[in-house]
Amino acid sequence: MPEFALVSRPALPHSPVGDASRVRIEALPEGHVLHVLAAGGRDITPEQLASLGDGTAHAVRRYAPGQWFVVGNEALGSKEYREKAARLGADAAVSDQSHGRVRVAVSGSGARSLLAKGCAVDFSPSVFAVGATAATLYNHIGIHVTRTAEDGFELLVLRSFAQSLWEDLSVNHGEH
Amino acid sequence: MASLIRCPHCGARPKEEFTIRGAAVTRPQPDAGEDAWYAYVYLRDNPMGPFDEYWHHTSGCRRWLVVSRDTRTHETYGVRDAAAVAGESRS
Amino acid sequence: MTAYRLGQGGRIDRSRTLGFTFDGTALSGHPGDTLASALLANNRLLVGRSFKYHRPRGVVAAGAAEPNALVTVGSAGRREPNSRATMVELHDGLRAESQNRWPSLNWDVGALNGFLSPFLSAGFYYKTFMWPASFWEKLYEPFIRRAAGLGRASYHADPDRYEKVWAHCDLLVVGAGPTGLAAALTAGRAGAEVILADEASEPGGSLLFDSASVDGQPAGQFATQILAELATLPNVRLMTRTTVFGWFDDMVFGAAERVSRHVSQPLPGQPQERLWRIVAKRAILATGAEQRPLVFPGNDRPGVMLADAAVSYARRFGVGVGRKVAVFANSDAGARTAASLQAAGINVVALVDARVGHPAAVTVPRIFSGGVVSGTSGSRALGAITVRHAGGEDRFEADALAMAGGYSPRIHLACHRGGKPRWSDAHQAFLAPEGLAGLTLAGSAAGARTLGECLSQGAAEAAAVVADLGHTGTAAQFGAVDGDVPEGSVRALWHVPGGKAFVDFQNDVTVKDLGLAVREGFSDVELAKRYTTTGMATDQGKLSNVNAIGILAEARGVSPAEVGTTTFRPFYTPVSFGALTGSSTGHHFQPVRRSPLHGWAEKHNAVFVETGLWVRSSWFPRQGETHWRQSVDREVKTVREAAGLCDVSTLGKIEIFGADAAEFLNRVYCNAFAKLPVGKARYGLMLREDGMIYDDGTTSRLDENHFFMTTTTALAAGVMNHLEFCAQTLWPDLDVRMASSTDQWAQMAIAGPLSRAILQVIVDEDLSDENVPFLAAKTVSLFGGQLEGRLYRISFSGELAYELGVPAGFGEAVADALMEAGEPHGICAYGAEALGVLRIEKGHVTHAEINGTVTAEDLGFGRMVSQKKVDFIGKHMLEREGLVDAERPRLVGVKPLNPEQSFRTGAHILAKGAEATLENDQGYVTSSAFSPHVGSTIGLALVTRGPDRHGEEVVIWNALAGETVPGVLCDPNFVDPSNEKLHA
Repeated sequence: MPEFALVSRPALPHSPVGDASRVRIEALPEGHVLHVLAAGGRDITPEQLASLGDGTAHAVRRYAPGQWFVVGNEALGSKEYREKAARLGADAAVSDQSHGRVRVAVSGSGARSLLAKGCAVDFSPSVFAVGATAATLYNHIGIHVTRTAEDGFELLVLRSFAQSLWEDLSVNHGEH
Repeated sequence: MASLIRCPHCGARPKEEFTIRGAAVTRPQPDAGEDAWYAYVYLRDNPMGPFDEYWHHTSGCRRWLVVSRDTRTHETYGVRDAAAVAGESRS
Repeated sequence: MTAYRLGQGGRIDRSRTLGFTFDGTALSGHPGDTLASALLANNRLLVGRSFKYHRPRGVVAAGAAEPNALVTVGSAGRREPNSRATMVELHDGLRAESQNRWPSLNWDVGALNGFLSPFLSAGFYYKTFMWPASFWEKLYEPFIRRAAGLGRASYHADPDRYEKVWAHCDLLVVGAGPTGLAAALTAGRAGAEVILADEASEPGGSLLFDSASVDGQPAGQFATQILAELATLPNVRLMTRTTVFGWFDDMVFGAAERVSRHVSQPLPGQPQERLWRIVAKRAILATGAEQRPLVFPGNDRPGVMLADAAVSYARRFGVGVGRKVAVFANSDAGARTAASLQAAGINVVALVDARVGHPAAVTVPRIFSGGVVSGTSGSRALGAITVRHAGGEDRFEADALAMAGGYSPRIHLACHRGGKPRWSDAHQAFLAPEGLAGLTLAGSAAGARTLGECLSQGAAEAAAVVADLGHTGTAAQFGAVDGDVPEGSVRALWHVPGGKAFVDFQNDVTVKDLGLAVREGFSDVELAKRYTTTGMATDQGKLSNVNAIGILAEARGVSPAEVGTTTFRPFYTPVSFGALTGSSTGHHFQPVRRSPLHGWAEKHNAVFVETGLWVRSSWFPRQGETHWRQSVDREVKTVREAAGLCDVSTLGKIEIFGADAAEFLNRVYCNAFAKLPVGKARYGLMLREDGMIYDDGTTSRLDENHFFMTTTTALAAGVMNHLEFCAQTLWPDLDVRMASSTDQWAQMAIAGPLSRAILQVIVDEDLSDENVPFLAAKTVSLFGGQLEGRLYRISFSGELAYELGVPAGFGEAVADALMEAGEPHGICAYGAEALGVLRIEKGHVTHAEINGTVTAEDLGFGRMVSQKKVDFIGKHMLEREGLVDAERPRLVGVKPLNPEQSFRTGAHILAKGAEATLENDQGYVTSSAFSPHVGSTIGLALVTRGPDRHGEEVVIWNALAGETVPGVLCDPNFVDPSNEKLHA
């Protein structure tokens, strides 16, 4: 069936909401999300992890003890994924979650207060600095949040929940 | 309204992020015998005071924790990773 | 009583006028007024009727403790019953209505209850409405509810938005009166993150009406100056209209912010209310103290109010509460009140001081030392009072009476976590428990009696807290306080004997009721509360509880310390359901999970069904199909005869990695997995430790150390938690790691005799039975190498079938391609309903059968359970007597003898001719459907010795539906029992 066109249907086919000077909610490109799981007792160095990333800041995000997400804007083909997965050898398994998790950016001076309407995490910069990450809830939806800038956050959410998260954020965006 | 559990991996988080399994009892050895298995599956203390329970940080790091709390005051005085606790009891 | 707007003074904006209505009458007030102050300014004294006797009642307080002035505000979806007029901010167009009166506030039929009052004493309901029992529900309760109700809730949906927010701070200061301001200023200057919350619209607390001055500035101006400095500190957040209503575990405080209640409707984008959960490292309660009413005959007549309220109305709102005001006190608060009122230009006619030998420093026409008010008169408002004193009784005109019965520190929050208050003889009040970790009290909440003490305590407590948190700072210093009048000695005066004296205004509890409770054996404070209902109204006894305790103590001849208090629990004041619910309403009640094939299903006209959080395609009606059965029957037949495509993306999917992954699976499944070859799938059964089946699914070995597990949709999350529990707590030494990949894969079942031919169009590899045999599991190339997918030859329908997983985003494109490729073969989309019929026809179980009470043996999986393995979850309980009983209900098929008859899931199985009794019950139908293949309804059932009884005639009995159907037990595999189609 050579005439087949490989079209990906985005989980969040929405234009950004809001204005960057206050709060902006934006669906990020569905590039790649690699879930790295270290073998028991193996230390994975930051360099090893960084070697899986695309070189941008905050590509590697701590998730849990021995687990990280490595994210980026470019979609990976099967070969590229397999090549990356092989880099850590037996030290870690790499599960491709590029379609399983979707990224949403929340930015602007009101980003923190928008997040506070669903998250119990203290996002004050002294506690949650740029680069900090947390797996937590936004209302009833599990998210993985990373501070990418003073006023910028990225939320990683399971694809099936993405639309509901988008709606929750948009509703709470109201007054901003 | 809220309680905070200090996850050793994630910091203080509200109890909504956790799933509580109940008493942190140790699974018997396969050959422990019927009584030991019966006790493990069915018998539970209901202590007034300090109590160790398995809590799962379901909406966080997804680690199983042993939460030590006082059933009278809800004060938590220790939260440890369950794997580490299992390691200690083994050694 | 004649209340009126003073010619000057107050913090209201006299340059603007606001119109509002009360019971339909148009009235006006000014910005800065509360509904209560505006009603008083309009000489509206009668604002409500009491709960039980429907007695006329007026405003008693000026703040949150108000027991009487409950009104309904707003209309339709914004109708808010039981609003305290003292907390309702006046705004243009405000509509307020009185409650608990009929036909009108002035002429209320229920007031007849007053004549019945001898019969409405404590315990009345318990004693009177007991028999006959059937009368309670139909007669007594509806009548009592109608007669004694408060406001009525609206039947309209609330049009407004509510939200919940988390906040974090170093120090939470509750109350922005003098103590709180001093504390916040001290901590703010030291650089701590401070939240200062106050329930009022304007911060300042008693400074807003105190006649003292600080450093030569009037109190109000002093507050303004501190607030101005706080506004310059970015680390201090002032939250007004915010009631901190509870102290919860681990230093979490709940607070309700009334964002938009002071306007007729929320501004665009603003919520109506906001519920805060504040996580504070430390907290200071600067909540002040509640002035107590005095309990004397006739003390509930409109016009009798708290002394501080009278002063507050005069000095903050510019309202005189009467033309002839009398003051009744048991401390120096009496003289202070008289002086403050006089300074505001109000005529004070008498000062009644219950103490002897405390000369007053004010000039008032009548001063009674050692006197008490022994009676009041007036029709719907106060007209005169009677004073009993050493020389006899005096009766004289007074249209307002300001009462000062001592102060009760507001310690509620400090007691929310179980601490018991302590009685202090020196304060004649209960103080907060000691040794509260993280929370301290300061100012009048801690028993301070002067403005100067409040300021210095607030600053000192905050300085100690910030030092403890590692900040450097010193206690804020303020200039000298002038005009501070301490309360002096307080005479314990719990009640004045005589006529009907009210303790709890809202619930109409009198001194006599409490006495009766003691005589009848209900003298314990918790019993007396429930027997008399004192403190049980919406105000939770803020004004009444301590007086009730004092009266109980007197009646029992003990100290209030011995009586103790009832239990303090959140909420401090009522919090709306809207705020508690936040944004989780309607469409946003809970998250919705959408399959990556949702769009594909929509294109095929799917009817969707909610299963848990998921939205699944249920069936796909085609043109001309008017009943769901037509669609489902067609889909089932198409799968059996040609092919169908079904979205199974909602099944749980878990990637399992690690050197010990095979060993791990061997321990969590009851059947063997260690030797599963790479490239193969196997059906697996998980047990619980008690031996019952937990879940089932297939697990495939994709690589030596990489497995892919599927679970049922219902238990996807549960199985993941379970596996993590096993890996982390039971066998942490095993190298096994799990990642949920449910959302990564769009998973489709392609089932039916023609499925291979259709799939071959898009799959690059050869799909012959040799290359992809039954239970093969492999990564395949699609569309000439454009995409990779995972292909599993597994079947739920019993037909030749595959499941294909592709990255979720590509799911719809791949499903479209399969439908296109299958069109010449007659493919159809089929949904969860057809899937259910197909599996029942094959005798495949789901959680309808795996219901927590069945063993592997019960479902015919007995031989799967490994006898060789030393250990697996559930092994050790399997041999118990009850689990191996030959009489256990076991899986069997069932169908009606007459194909025209049908039965339903839940129907019971009886032996032919047996009476329908519990003893004769042999089991029940767990699943049923119309089978197009069999041509009748068929069912799966759990029936005692079921597998041994194939061919036996039984009765399928359903008393609920009135159906008794002769049936026959049979092999649960209704289609292709030899599985030839499966292996084709």
